[in-house]
Amino acid sequence: MPMHVSYNWLLVLLSYAVSVLGSFTSLQLAVAIPLATTPRQRTAAVAMAGGAMGLGAIWAMHFIAMLACDSGMHVTYAPSLTALSAVVAFAACSAGLMLVGDALFSWLRLLAAGSCMGLGVGAMHYLGMAAMMMPAVISYNAGLVVASLVIAIVASMAALWLAFNLRGPWQMVASALVMGFAVCGMHYTGMTAATFTDNGGQLPDGYADGLRGDNLGLTVFGIVGTLLVLMLVLHYWRQRYRSSISI
Amino acid sequence: MVELEVQVLSDRREGLLAELGRAVVANGFSLIRQRLTQDSHGAWLTMIVRGPSEQRFALEETLGTHNRVLSFEASLSGEDAVATAVFAKSTPVAVHAPSPEPPPIIEPSATPSAAVMPDIERVEHILPKLAQDYPSIYPWLVSLENSVDDAVRESSLMLAGRRTGAWVYKRDYALGAKLGLSDAIKRIGVPALRQLADIEQQGVHVHILNSPLCTPGVQSGCKFYGGYLEGLLGASVTPKKVFVRHLSCRSTGAPHCSLEISH
Repeated sequence: MPMHVSYNWLLVLLSYAVSVLGSFTSLQLAVAIPLATTPRQRTAAVAMAGGAMGLGAIWAMHFIAMLACDSGMHVTYAPSLTALSAVVAFAACSAGLMLVGDALFSWLRLLAAGSCMGLGVGAMHYLGMAAMMMPAVISYNAGLVVASLVIAIVASMAALWLAFNLRGPWQMVASALVMGFAVCGMHYTGMTAATFTDNGGQLPDGYADGLRGDNLGLTVFGIVGTLLVLMLVLHYWRQRYRSSISI
Repeated sequence: MVELEVQVLSDRREGLLAELGRAVVANGFSLIRQRLTQDSHGAWLTMIVRGPSEQRFALEETLGTHNRVLSFEASLSGEDAVATAVFAKSTPVAVHAPSPEPPPIIEPSATPSAAVMPDIERVEHILPKLAQDYPSIYPWLVSLENSVDDAVRESSLMLAGRRTGAWVYKRDYALGAKLGLSDAIKRIGVPALRQLADIEQQGVHVHILNSPLCTPGVQSGCKFYGGYLEGLLGASVTPKKVFVRHLSCRSTGAPHCSLEISH
């Protein structure tokens, strides 16, 4: 029998805020990729931007949103799939940012990068869902799954375009808000596509060893704290760099 | 021939000598010797270069607007230094008052290139003040306008504009992808120029409505805006070079100053 799912709206808003924060930090780092002059600098910039986007804007957002979701069951998460979902998010975002973070903009690159990141968001989400261990089975509405992926791809493309082509304050703020929408739009559409059906109380193997909400809460807290520190350091470094440029 | 000692500060040393060495060679100079050191401010590259004196301005402009360069100083060495220093030195002139008389006819210079060479010393002297007071820079520009010879006024204003534009680009607009010309005009040129003057933009045309540098019936300071846009947009639409053509000026009775940007 399908189960009713309700949301804690405060945590839903928090998930969007974390997604915007991660996107903001990531895109601040990503727009500096074209300025890298050595492969090492470029790799470092891509990895940091990919980490902030994959782990902060997407992975942390997903698990805050999952904490916001109350299906009336105790849920734990398989550690291996949960870790894999983080790796996939990081890799997809790094690849997408590397593609678009070239000095010369082109629509083809934007399409490839947006697809990479959008599918990365989707892959992370559905791997995270597959990691759920609970006395229920999940089924999906295929149309809504496709819609969730389309939202992720289109909004990612829009965010990347804004980040790399606008200038001034809107460059970062608007792109972060749109990227936050891409991640949250994908997630909550994906959640709408999911139906949880009670399996009669049968718990899957390894349920007791799974990650619990408090484990995830601490991890998410660590990631968000790191993002905030990274953003402050970046802001301080940019201010110093800006004042060091002589005419 | 002229021998220059150039000192450059960059935020990192990797690839610095190779990149700036290419710029030196591209301007017809050869690198005699160099020294690369690092301190808490960044990487310092000192180069002794030799090349044709008429290319000195081009080399200094290339280095001054190079994206790896945070700051640079160039000084002459050897006997050519005296000649160039004498050439660069200009005589201060009084502030022009509005006059019904036609503008004075400038005598052709003995050296053909001298008419287009800016007064580098005076421009270099005023640049830190432009950076310090930016965007309230008109008093300094008017001072520059009035302190250089008529023959080098436009080229000096253009050089000041280029250096200021390149500096503003590096400071405020360098993050992001390279843009096409029309996007660069809309997203970089227009907002940056609006900090300095009331403007209108239509495609590749920019109209400066009330330029304090261009007083009706006196002299034109439009070259500053042209140089400013070239410096500002040049780095954004590379590898193409940006050119600004001056279509009309308030100083000649036009309702506003008009510039056309192309590459």
